Amino acid sequence: MKWLKSNVFVPVLAFVFVMFFWATAFAASDEIRIGVIGPMKFIQGKSQWNGAVMAAEEINAKGGVKVGSKMMKIKLIQADSNEFLSITDATNAMERLITRDKVHFVVGGFRTEAVFAMQDIACQNKVIFIGCGAASDELCNRVAKYYDQYKYFFRGTPFNSTALVKAAFSHVGSTAEVLRNELGITGPIKVAFVAEKAQWADAMVPAVQATLPKMGMELVGVWRPSPVATDVSAELSAIQRSGAQIIFTFFSSSVGIPFARQANELKIPAMQVGINVEAQKAEFWQATRGQGNYVITSSTYARNVECNELTKPFVEAYIKRFGEVPTYTTGTYESIKMSLVDTIEMIGTLDPDKIVATLENRVYKTPPSTIMYVKDNLGRHTHDLKFGPGYATGIASQWQDGEFVGVWPNKWKPAPGVEVTFKGVKPIKIPPWMIKAYKK
Amino acid sequence: MKLILFYLRKLFAVLKNEVLVLPSRVAVIIFFLFILLLPLFTDDLYVLRVFTLASIFAIFAASWDLLSGFTGQLNFGHALFFGVGAYSAALINLHWQLAPWLSIPLGALIGVAAGLIVGIPALRLKGTYLALTTLAFPIIVTGLVFTFPDFTGGELGISGIQKLAPTRIHEYYIISILMLGLCTIMWKITDSNTGIIFHAIREDEIAVRASGVNTTRYKLLAFCLSGFFAGIAGGLYAHFMRIAGPSVLEISLSFMVVIWAMFGGAATIYGPIGAVFFLYPLVEFMHVIQDYRTLMFAFVVLLVLLFMPDGLFRWLREKIETECPRCKVRNIATRDTCRICTAPLD
Amino acid sequence: MSIILDIIVMGLIKGSIYALLAISFSLIFGVARIVNIAHTAFYMVAAYCIYTVTNYMGWSAVPAMFVAVILSVILGMVIYKVFLNPIREHEGAVLIATMAIAMVFQEVMTLFFSGSFLSVPNLIDGYFIIFGVKVFYQQLLTLCAAALVMVILMIFLFKTKLGLALRSTAQDREVANLMGINESKVAMITMGIAIGLAGFAGAIVVPLEILEPHMWATPLVMMMAVVVLGGLGSLKGSFVGAYIMGFTEAMVVFLSPQGAFLKISVALLIMIIVLLIRPEGLFGVYFEEER
Repeated sequence: MKWLKSNVFVPVLAFVFVMFFWATAFAASDEIRIGVIGPMKFIQGKSQWNGAVMAAEEINAKGGVKVGSKMMKIKLIQADSNEFLSITDATNAMERLITRDKVHFVVGGFRTEAVFAMQDIACQNKVIFIGCGAASDELCNRVAKYYDQYKYFFRGTPFNSTALVKAAFSHVGSTAEVLRNELGITGPIKVAFVAEKAQWADAMVPAVQATLPKMGMELVGVWRPSPVATDVSAELSAIQRSGAQIIFTFFSSSVGIPFARQANELKIPAMQVGINVEAQKAEFWQATRGQGNYVITSSTYARNVECNELTKPFVEAYIKRFGEVPTYTTGTYESIKMSLVDTIEMIGTLDPDKIVATLENRVYKTPPSTIMYVKDNLGRHTHDLKFGPGYATGIASQWQDGEFVGVWPNKWKPAPGVEVTFKGVKPIKIPPWMIKAYKK
Repeated sequence: MKLILFYLRKLFAVLKNEVLVLPSRVAVIIFFLFILLLPLFTDDLYVLRVFTLASIFAIFAASWDLLSGFTGQLNFGHALFFGVGAYSAALINLHWQLAPWLSIPLGALIGVAAGLIVGIPALRLKGTYLALTTLAFPIIVTGLVFTFPDFTGGELGISGIQKLAPTRIHEYYIISILMLGLCTIMWKITDSNTGIIFHAIREDEIAVRASGVNTTRYKLLAFCLSGFFAGIAGGLYAHFMRIAGPSVLEISLSFMVVIWAMFGGAATIYGPIGAVFFLYPLVEFMHVIQDYRTLMFAFVVLLVLLFMPDGLFRWLREKIETECPRCKVRNIATRDTCRICTAPLD
Repeated sequence: MSIILDIIVMGLIKGSIYALLAISFSLIFGVARIVNIAHTAFYMVAAYCIYTVTNYMGWSAVPAMFVAVILSVILGMVIYKVFLNPIREHEGAVLIATMAIAMVFQEVMTLFFSGSFLSVPNLIDGYFIIFGVKVFYQQLLTLCAAALVMVILMIFLFKTKLGLALRSTAQDREVANLMGINESKVAMITMGIAIGLAGFAGAIVVPLEILEPHMWATPLVMMMAVVVLGGLGSLKGSFVGAYIMGFTEAMVVFLSPQGAFLKISVALLIMIIVLLIRPEGLFGVYFEEER
């Protein structure tokens, strides 16, 4: 009897291991396999998957990709990187995509720490990896420094942290302008800088301290809550006491939700402008129970705002298909459709080296922007995106009574004689309690 | 020639009389062979990666067992040693350009220092107090990591670390042979006099002290040894993954090592190793049902515990082997009499 | 001046939540000798329960709170009966069983609600101003509710027969058993009460927090720190420890705004320093069987 019991275990163990070794994907040769890797249990990963699905459906509906003389269909393979919880899971998923599923290309990735590790694996295996989520500059600096090793990595979305910050300063400038005009505030606009405690935001503290006075504003304080703080009423009381008129926010994590919600609940008389990744999501209105009103954040898409002629059809099609406005991690769409497939059709091969050589020199339009890959000041390829008018600029959007409305670039003057306004942007709205506090 | 034959015959005799008589020893031999011969059967990089990581975590889990299983100094913050080892190896490699074979042991020595730092307050604490206090250490270190982002890379971690070896097969062999070696050393330690004292400290510390043993010294030793082995695991991890970030200090890693060790059976060394080699590939394999993976993992752990609260491998060993009531020698469960003293087994 | 008031208000609120969690955790540990890692996972379950009831069934927040507390009590007792009671003799097994239970909850919540951030409505909207400090009504409510529950708990423990049974089991399990107390039944009741308290803490604090499937980890760490600081199994210790931790957090946030992310690290450091001086915590006593 004793023996019988333990005997059950051996076959079970054996079975598990056999299954494990056997589970090799059968790869057909007439399809292009693209791996989509991301935190699939979270909204970021879901958007990455949705974007990729839309690209694949559109291309396959047209009959596929023309590679030389034959037509190849696109096959997407989803991999849950679980990267918020485990970096090893993320690297295992990447390795599995490449060695098991034998994908030709990978798009996705979100948490920077994980993307670094995934970048290593993809580049070692000479698989082109387009990052659609992590903003760190360092990802592309690596490409410049060790080009032969890392040339298979491209930035898809978002543009790098430095550019994100440049854009954010412009947004603050535009908002200050509005406050001066509407509320008649004279003298320097007082700005409170609130950035989550994270490395990407650290470098920005001196930048903010240096730049704001040049823009005719006064920095009244710097606050650094934890990226996952859930109660910021303390910081908010202090901000209100400092007399700030603009709250310059730098949030990439969950803290963006309680901050926006509590600021509105406490009726802090200041505008929130800057980067608030949570506010870019459609769920933001729900998550703050409508208390995210008047928050301005940099974003990629807003309904009815057009960067170029591709924007509107894409946004409308996406809303029709998935019922929400796309966010920046849906950049998998243009990464597959415009970056990869168009290049493949141009040169008629799947050879990664040839694709890299062609892609890095292309300039092409995508729904959110025009993409050009820049070189660093030593003339080395970085595979990073060019930021500036005519290229990637992003937009800024404001939550106005449940709608995410594009408010920037609206008469943006990036250089003398240049004025940029996107079709469909609307004026910034100031919260009524702020008007009441300043308009006597 | 004769000498070789003599040794061969001796080896054969040992194999026949000491190893093949006990299923657990056979299992260990099979495990060694499996680890060493795996690359012959598969050159799948993914499979090798999974087993390489399993080896790293096996060292880590065994080092927890050495400390917490044997001396009963329940450590809930074992990720501290792993993380300190990983960060130190990464920083040493990056700033001093030392090769992995130097940076990993140096990182492990810093792990020892971490062991001392945690060990000293831990000397005054017992049981649950100790467990809950140690939980705090990795969190405090994470705070430090975020306070000095220029040095530690903040949430981005330290990247650009040298690879452990040029190819995956090399990496696999370096790590798995190290794992087998280090785990044998750990097992030997627990089998030595020191190990017996460790064991005794867990059972009754006051009695050990009353017998004239300086328990303080031994407890610190346990912390240092454990810190060393976990530090090596951390260093290997950093060089294998080529990144050391705050995720190596997370609570979930501390919890995971406790789960592995307890699941396999604490105070055995082989239990945690077996558990890692069972659970880690199992969870990886379950990626076909990726949404339910962690859930299944938790259920497997719960169910196994419900029926085998002493741990899976301890339970298995109890099933296939019995201990002779007279001479305390282990026998295969099918025997009716002891293989040494022929006393009847029940 | 107002900064001091800020610290007081926030310290009191944080402290009360920690006190609710820590006292209930202490109860389970004291009576049943279970280190319940899943304790704050029940807190999370209650929070999600409120979200479901208010959002999908359209109930108002107060009945939702009752549903949440009752549901978590039932869940807690069932889990105790099925998973913990059979292996109670094996300390290590119980420990990782509770870890696994926490993981199960986390994963189930992820499956149902995905990993995105959610929030629930306040019981009372709005805020009032006291000495220039804005305080949410919800925060005041949290404070009052926590205080009320603690008073009720104290009355229960010190004035009723069942409370006496609980306390005597906590003091010495075997002797309590000999005196005719059904020890395993007491343990189960304790589990129910404690989980109920954790659920209640979750229910009152949830409008101030955001919901996500990993929200149990941070309060878990703080709760354990509080319990150790105050002394294991000592209700008074948990109470005092909770406010020490709460005020420490508040002080870090207000006095060094740039280092607000360090609030947990600093609180834990204080705990370690206290333990170096008093290894049994502030009000702790070593249990007989632990010597």
